[in-house]
Amino acid sequence: MAERPEDLNLPNAVVTRIIKDAIPEGVNVSKEARLAISKAASVFVLYATSISNNFAVKGKRKTINAQDVLSAMENMEFEQFIEPLQQCQEAFRQEKIDKKKERVSKPAPSATINEAGDEDVQEVSDEEESGEGRQSTSAADGSKEDFVSTVNENNDAAGSSGDSSVEMIEDGAD
Amino acid sequence: MKSSPEVSSISQEALHLTGKATELFIQALARFSYQQGEDKSALNYRDLAEVVNSEETLQFLHDIVPHKVKAKDYLKMLRDADASEEQ
Repeated sequence: MAERPEDLNLPNAVVTRIIKDAIPEGVNVSKEARLAISKAASVFVLYATSISNNFAVKGKRKTINAQDVLSAMENMEFEQFIEPLQQCQEAFRQEKIDKKKERVSKPAPSATINEAGDEDVQEVSDEEESGEGRQSTSAADGSKEDFVSTVNENNDAAGSSGDSSVEMIEDGAD
Repeated sequence: MKSSPEVSSISQEALHLTGKATELFIQALARFSYQQGEDKSALNYRDLAEVVNSEETLQFLHDIVPHKVKAKDYLKMLRDADASEEQ
């Protein structure tokens, strides 16, 4: 799909927001500069992915894992990123544990629609980041259809790869 | 990330971390370029190009954020390169 590494670009709005966070208030950023930063970031992703992949292959694995990413950062001499990333990792793992707990305490998906529906509302609004509410949400098809489809849309819009299986992303996650 | 041909698959955690790392990268690049730049009211392309060219860790960006060159200077460079190749 992409012909050259620099043709892939990240969403403009997001990049602009991050830049604005980094520099003091009221500073203008030229369009060229913004575009250049965006391209630089895209190349960064590709480059980091390539290096992370090397580490994965070295470990005789086919899936890039978090440790590979951290090793890549060190390799690229971006050690200053490693600490914040580790904090992020912790937070992410904590979130996963919390989610698992919620899943365990939930009744089976085919149970009373009303009950499941209410719980889904709670879960989806709290955790916009993950798409995992989807499984039980889609089970509540019957009477709550309109609401559910809106909720599903929210899930999609939330952006992350809403996969019902836990860790591997086989396709679709661009 | 998956557009890289040699990558077979990526764990969700790795994906999340890479995204976060990119965010950190953008912030660091923007902040650093701004600090290095002369004009404190704006962030210019030139500041970025300066930083990319001076930092070793940013070498991979050399071709992506090059210094801007006037067309006539560029043509001159090409002509010089051709001339040296012929020799």
